[in-house]
Amino acid sequence: MELFLERLIIGLTNGSVYALLALALVVVFRGTGTLNFAQGELALFTTFIAWWLTTESFPVWIAIVAALLTGFVLGAMIERMLIRPVQRRNDMAVLIVALGLFTGLNSLAGVIWGSETKIMPSLFPNGLDDYVSLAGARLYYDALTVWGALIVLLVLMTLLFRHTKLGLHMRAVADNSESATLAGVRTSRILAVGWGLSGAIGALAGVLVTPLAAEQLGLTTMFHIFIAASAAALFGGLDSLVGAVVGGITIGVLEAMLTGYVSFIGGALQQTSALFIIVAILFVRPNGLFGTKRVVRV
Amino acid sequence: MTTIDETTSMSNERSGTAAGKPRGPRFLIVQNSPRHRAVQAVLIALTVVALLWAAGQPTFRLGQFTNVFIIAIAVVGLNIVTGYTGLLSIGHSAFFGLGAYTTGILIVRYEFAPLATIPLAVLFAFVLGLLVGLPSLRIHGLYLALVTLAVAVSFPEIVRRAEELTGGAAGMVVRSRYLAPPEWTGLVRGERAIWMFWLSAAVLAIVMLLVRNLVKSRFGIAMRATRDNEIAAAANGVSIARTKILAFGISGAITGLAGSLFGMYIGALSPDGSFTLMKAIELVTGLVLGGIATQIGPLVGAFAVVFLPYWTASWAEGPLSGVVFGVLLIALVFLMPEGIVGRLGLLVRKVVAIVPSDHPRRTAASHDPPPEPPSPPGDEPLTASR
Repeated sequence: MELFLERLIIGLTNGSVYALLALALVVVFRGTGTLNFAQGELALFTTFIAWWLTTESFPVWIAIVAALLTGFVLGAMIERMLIRPVQRRNDMAVLIVALGLFTGLNSLAGVIWGSETKIMPSLFPNGLDDYVSLAGARLYYDALTVWGALIVLLVLMTLLFRHTKLGLHMRAVADNSESATLAGVRTSRILAVGWGLSGAIGALAGVLVTPLAAEQLGLTTMFHIFIAASAAALFGGLDSLVGAVVGGITIGVLEAMLTGYVSFIGGALQQTSALFIIVAILFVRPNGLFGTKRVVRV
Repeated sequence: MTTIDETTSMSNERSGTAAGKPRGPRFLIVQNSPRHRAVQAVLIALTVVALLWAAGQPTFRLGQFTNVFIIAIAVVGLNIVTGYTGLLSIGHSAFFGLGAYTTGILIVRYEFAPLATIPLAVLFAFVLGLLVGLPSLRIHGLYLALVTLAVAVSFPEIVRRAEELTGGAAGMVVRSRYLAPPEWTGLVRGERAIWMFWLSAAVLAIVMLLVRNLVKSRFGIAMRATRDNEIAAAANGVSIARTKILAFGISGAITGLAGSLFGMYIGALSPDGSFTLMKAIELVTGLVLGGIATQIGPLVGAFAVVFLPYWTASWAEGPLSGVVFGVLLIALVFLMPEGIVGRLGLLVRKVVAIVPSDHPRRTAASHDPPPEPPSPPGDEPLTASR
C-alpha cells in the first residue's frame, strides 16, 4: 500500500510536469494551429538561464521570474521572426524551422554552459527530510509545488481563454484568422502573445521540474518530458486545456505504475510506451479525447 | 503543396508571360535524340571519372566518400516519403538503425556473409515502414511528424532493452574478418575500404535509377498527386491508403538498405551512436539542403552533411556543430527553400530544356509561336495550386 501510494505520488508529480509542458503546446496550437517541436528545448534554455542567475548569487525567485520573462520574449520572437514568415508556405517549412531551433537551442545551451549536469536550487526546501507523511508514503514539498503550480496555471489559463478579451481574440484567431482580422482583432499581436505565453509556461515547467528530475539539469533533461508532454497534448486533442492536464497526469501515473509493476518494461522503455500511447489514441480518435473535430471542406 | 511546387509554378508563369514572343530556354534537347544521348553519355563519363578519382584517394577520404554514398542512399529513401509523397518523417534514423542492426546481428550471431544480410535488412525495414505508414492514414502533417519523432526516440531504447540480441547499451562489434570483401572481387581483407566504396557507389547508383523510374511510374504519379492534393487525388481514383503505406514501406526499405551498408562500413554498432534523433535530423537536413523531391538532391545534401562538420571543425567543435546545423536549417528555409539542386535546376532550365519528340515548339519549327510554353522536366505539380 505504501509502495502504491509512493508510486502514485511520483506518477502524479511527473504527470503534472508533463501537463505543464503540454499546456504550453496547447496554447501554441490554439493560437496558431501548429505544433512547437522546440518547446522542450526552449524550456531547457530558459531553465539554464535561471540556473546561471542562481550561480551569480541571485535569489531563486528572481531567477525564476527572469526565466519566465525570457521564455515569453523568446517565444514571441520565434513566432515573429522565424515561424510567421514561413507558416503560410507549408507544414514542412514550419517543421524544419522547429527542428533547427531544436538542435540549435540545445547545442547553444551546451556551448554556453557546458554539457555536465547542474543542480538547480529549488524554490522550496527540498532536502531528504522535507516531506509530509501520507499514510506512510512521503510527499515531498517540491512535488506539492508542482501540483500547485499546475492547478493555478490551469485555472488562470481557463479564465484567460473564457473570460478575457485577449482569450476571446486568441480563440478567434485560432478558429479563423482571416475573419478575426476582418473583425478588428490584431492578429499578429495575438499570435506573438500566444507563443510568448507558451514560452513562459514552458520556462515555468523547466524550473519546477529540474530539482525533481533524477538527472538534474543536463542537455537531455527536457527531451523525455517533451515526448511525454506531446503525448499528453495529443491525448487531449491538442486544443483542450483540460485534456492536456488529464493526458499528462494519465501518462505520468501510467508510466510510474508500469515502471514499478511491470518489470519487463522497466525504466528502459518509458519513451516507447509513450509512443504506443500516442499512436493508440490517435488511431482510435484522431482528434484526441477532448479535441474538437475539424471538418475538411472540399 | 511543397516548396518545389511553388518554384516550378513560378517558372511556369514566367515562361507563360512570354507566350507571344517565345523566351523559353535557349536550347531544346529532344528526348532520346542523338544529342540527348550524347549529353547523357558525357554525364555518365564524368561521373565515372569522378568515381575513379575518388577511389584513388587516401583511406580516410575514401571512408568519407563511402559515408556520403551511404547517407545519400538513406536520404533517397527519405525523399520518397517526404519529398514525393509529402509525409513528414523525422523517424528515419530508426529504419537506418534497423538495417544496420539486422546486418550486424546476422553476421555476428548467425555467421551470415555480409552481402547476404542485405535482403533481410531491406525486408525488415520495409515491414517497419508499412507499420509506421499506418498512422499516416489518419494523422496528418505535424502530428505525423510527432509520431515519427517517437519512432526515432524509441529505437535506441528498444535496442538497449533487447540486450541479448543487440548487446544493449554497450553495443556490438562486428569483427573485421567477417567484413572482408568477398573472394570473387579479388580484394584482400586489408582492402575493405575500397570494397565498401565501390559497393556503396554501386548500390546508390542502382537505387537512384530505380527511384527515378518509380517516380515516373503510375505509382509515382499517385504519390505526387497525394502530396499535392489528397482530396483531388482520391477523387481521381488514387488509393490514398495504399499509396501512403506503400510509400512509407519503400522509403523505409531503402533507408534500411543504407543502414545495412552502414553496419558493414562502421563495424561497431551502439544505440547512442548513429541511430538517434540527431541522425534523423541529419537526414532531413541533407534532404532539404540538397533539394526536396529532386533526383540528385539527396547526393548533394549528403555531401554537405558529411563534410560540413569537417569543414567547420576548425572553428566549431563539439556542441557548436549542432548550433551550425540548427542555424543552417533555419537559414535554408528562408534563403533557399528549393535546396541546392532545386535552385540549380531552375537556372539550368532557363538555358536548356529536354522535351519529348512530339513537343509543339519543335514540330512547329519557327513558323508560329508555340501554343504552350515547354513544361519544365522533373517534378511539376500534378494539380493546380490550392
